[in-house]
Amino acid sequence: MLFALESRTLPIVSISMSTRSGSTHDPGDKEGLLRTSLRMLRRGAGKLTGPEIEETIDRLGAELSIDVGPSTMTIYAQVIARNVEPMCALMATLLSSPTVPPDELARLVRETHAEITESRDNDRSLAERAFRRVVFDGHPYGRSTRGAHATIDRIKRDDVLSALRTHLVKGNVAIAIAGDVTVDRARQLANTLVGALPEGERIHDATPEPQVQQGRHLVFVDKPERTQAQVLMGGLGTSAHDDDHTALAVGNAVFGGTFTARLMKEVRSKRGWSYGASSRLGVDRRRQSFAMWTFPKASDCAPCVGLELELLEKWVDGGVTARELSFMAKYLVRSYAFDVDTASKRAHQALDVEILGLPADYYSGYTKRIETTKLQDVNSAIKRRISTTDLVIAVVGTAKDTFDAVRDACGELASASVIAFDAD
Amino acid sequence: MKRSRKPAKKRAGSVAEPALAHEANHAFGDAQIERYRLANGLTLLLLHDASAPVVSYSTWYRVGSRHEKPGKTGLAHFFEHLMFNETEHLEAGEFDRKLEESGAESNAATWFDWTYYYEALPKQSLGLAVKLESDRMAHLVLRKPQVESEREVVSNERRFRVDDDVEGAANEELYKLAFTKHPYHWPTIGWMKDIEGYTPADCKAFYKTYYAPNNATVIVVGDFAKADVLAKVKRAYTPLAAAKIPTEETRREPMQKKERRLVLKKPTPTEKMLIGYRGPALGDADHVPLSLLSEILFAGRASRLYKKLVTELELVSDLRGWVSTFRDPGLFEMYFTMREGHTAAEVSSVLEVELARVRDELVSETELDRAKARQELATLQGLETASGKAEQIGFYETVLGDPAGVMRRLDALRSVTAEQIRASAKSALLRDSRTVVVVLPNAASKAS
Repeated sequence: MLFALESRTLPIVSISMSTRSGSTHDPGDKEGLLRTSLRMLRRGAGKLTGPEIEETIDRLGAELSIDVGPSTMTIYAQVIARNVEPMCALMATLLSSPTVPPDELARLVRETHAEITESRDNDRSLAERAFRRVVFDGHPYGRSTRGAHATIDRIKRDDVLSALRTHLVKGNVAIAIAGDVTVDRARQLANTLVGALPEGERIHDATPEPQVQQGRHLVFVDKPERTQAQVLMGGLGTSAHDDDHTALAVGNAVFGGTFTARLMKEVRSKRGWSYGASSRLGVDRRRQSFAMWTFPKASDCAPCVGLELELLEKWVDGGVTARELSFMAKYLVRSYAFDVDTASKRAHQALDVEILGLPADYYSGYTKRIETTKLQDVNSAIKRRISTTDLVIAVVGTAKDTFDAVRDACGELASASVIAFDAD
Repeated sequence: MKRSRKPAKKRAGSVAEPALAHEANHAFGDAQIERYRLANGLTLLLLHDASAPVVSYSTWYRVGSRHEKPGKTGLAHFFEHLMFNETEHLEAGEFDRKLEESGAESNAATWFDWTYYYEALPKQSLGLAVKLESDRMAHLVLRKPQVESEREVVSNERRFRVDDDVEGAANEELYKLAFTKHPYHWPTIGWMKDIEGYTPADCKAFYKTYYAPNNATVIVVGDFAKADVLAKVKRAYTPLAAAKIPTEETRREPMQKKERRLVLKKPTPTEKMLIGYRGPALGDADHVPLSLLSEILFAGRASRLYKKLVTELELVSDLRGWVSTFRDPGLFEMYFTMREGHTAAEVSSVLEVELARVRDELVSETELDRAKARQELATLQGLETASGKAEQIGFYETVLGDPAGVMRRLDALRSVTAEQIRASAKSALLRDSRTVVVVLPNAASKAS
């Protein structure tokens, strides 16, 4: 499947190859396998060594990156237009003949250990990890795509070769090419890339729907010397196939999707408690999370958590007003221009629909759906999908300064735990 | 001198100037940037780009943290927040509400040399940006409630970006140590003590001094009708009076004759090291060659230091290099994250050898070609959207007075030679004029 869009505005070309499978296919004891496998593509292919591949990418004025999500994997390249053909030829070599040199795999595993250790410096990422683990407890969405110290050590060369051979097959990929290239030429380039792959069928996604975690759960990640806390709060959110998906998205935008949204107004504008305050709904093949994010100073953390719970309850119980809906619909419809202002963005929308199995009119019918969304639909969707009782609250802070007050601010809790920031 | 709110007077007896005069065109790739100036000094730059039905409207003020005084650091950045507040014509929150209702997105940024505000709008809403930006250029309300509310927000921003962020904190220390006289010494976000002390009077004085049409450039890029933009800008900004912009009293940074070092302890799993060698100003001839040298040393997995320190010796997990893009000479920053069990001292000894190589030997033509190709791609990537183009135009206009500076830089890098790179390495990479900040894991930094 190819999505090609020509745009002559700049002499660059974007190439994306995405798979219909992602890290939910990692074996439980080998978390990080698919990400490791894709990263190994540039460490040896055909007669090229890793360093030779890197030098070629740079010489062509190109970038090559990979992204592994729960349900998809993407190999993304951007290249100066005059070099698009040699870049595609290089990508074809990586796809057709990965050599997975054992010494390079061992080196990559050591690099990944270092990255996991370094991630402890990023408080937001620590909060995100803790949040997802509890929201998706026991579900593959709760795993780390990067893997953990224990799991990446179990990844062997045969695992990588097998993963590449299983997932990078003709029936399991779709391609988007956009930029300074004709549609005909893009088709030829896509044929080069697909032609490099072995035969194989689309991979079935047997990932189950995530289940709600009953009750309120506080997970506190204890890190020393924090002057500020990172707070994530939420639970399960929406599926693109829900009848009320658009209505919930609009309701979320009113609650925490823009600078004038309720969360921003109450937490930042009125009280100055956090530089940012927002909420978001993830979209994937299965139901993803709903999460609110703030980062108040340590002494404001408990009152901020209390305020967020109050705002959440008011939103769920009282819904949004007709005025808020009208305002937000205008914003979402009119700002859509920026979702499609480059050929690359338009091509990626088409790719998303195909790869994630989104409804065919997910993007093309977006503004029409927003315009016809009714107040009752929005408020019913919020009530149906968002829970104030089944809630996960993840906080990164210094426990001796903040934990007790935050726990007291959370109301009745089914569980409260403190984990060390360097426990992983 | 206080800025009058009245329209600027014409000179008696002079021939009346056109209110919005076309001054020049600047080639920008295949397109043209058109330059106009209002009688009150406002510069307007237009670049037509019909690739999408959107418009980017940005306003660059020639004021940044370099214009602040000790004790009042961070004021320029503080305005980045205050400017979204109440004006004489708009209640608090209305600025954002009106923009969002039109489907626009807006934000702002501040650094040492500049502050800028931008809106990205559907093309039919361009008039709203003209109205809102011209209003807040002259009619901002600066009273205690606005100052108090934003003070808390900015304090939290500082905690997020600096106090609780290892790299942010180390970077602040690097500039504090490297610059002793020049205002690049203090961070753009300001010292926390200064943020806590701002008064409405401080803010009013800063606003009257620097927020004026003759200290600003408006850049419009996108799918617009020229006559319509010109008419709207002329109508909205003509009533605004010019200010007397004070002559800048920036003190030159004295030559550094001895290496400076600082060790910090932070709750972090591994050692970090930042090194700042003396770097050129953005407009200096050395800037492009030194940027290419930074590519050769740091950028991508084929770069010299990546291959040596990450791949071969496995001493570091991350490394970056950047030649600062400031109006005055800045730093050639180098950043290293050591792997567990390895030290900054180990990395330093390898680095010394590699830096000596580029001072003494010519880089290869293939390395140079790769660096040029990487920079060409990065430049093009920055020009993909209307907002990207507007940002490049505003930045180069404000820092170098050349709105097409990004294109000239692209031309310049194509002709850089290995000899020029060696010469720039010889003049910049001097041990005695470098500053080093090392971050060590805090021994007591285990979770409580």
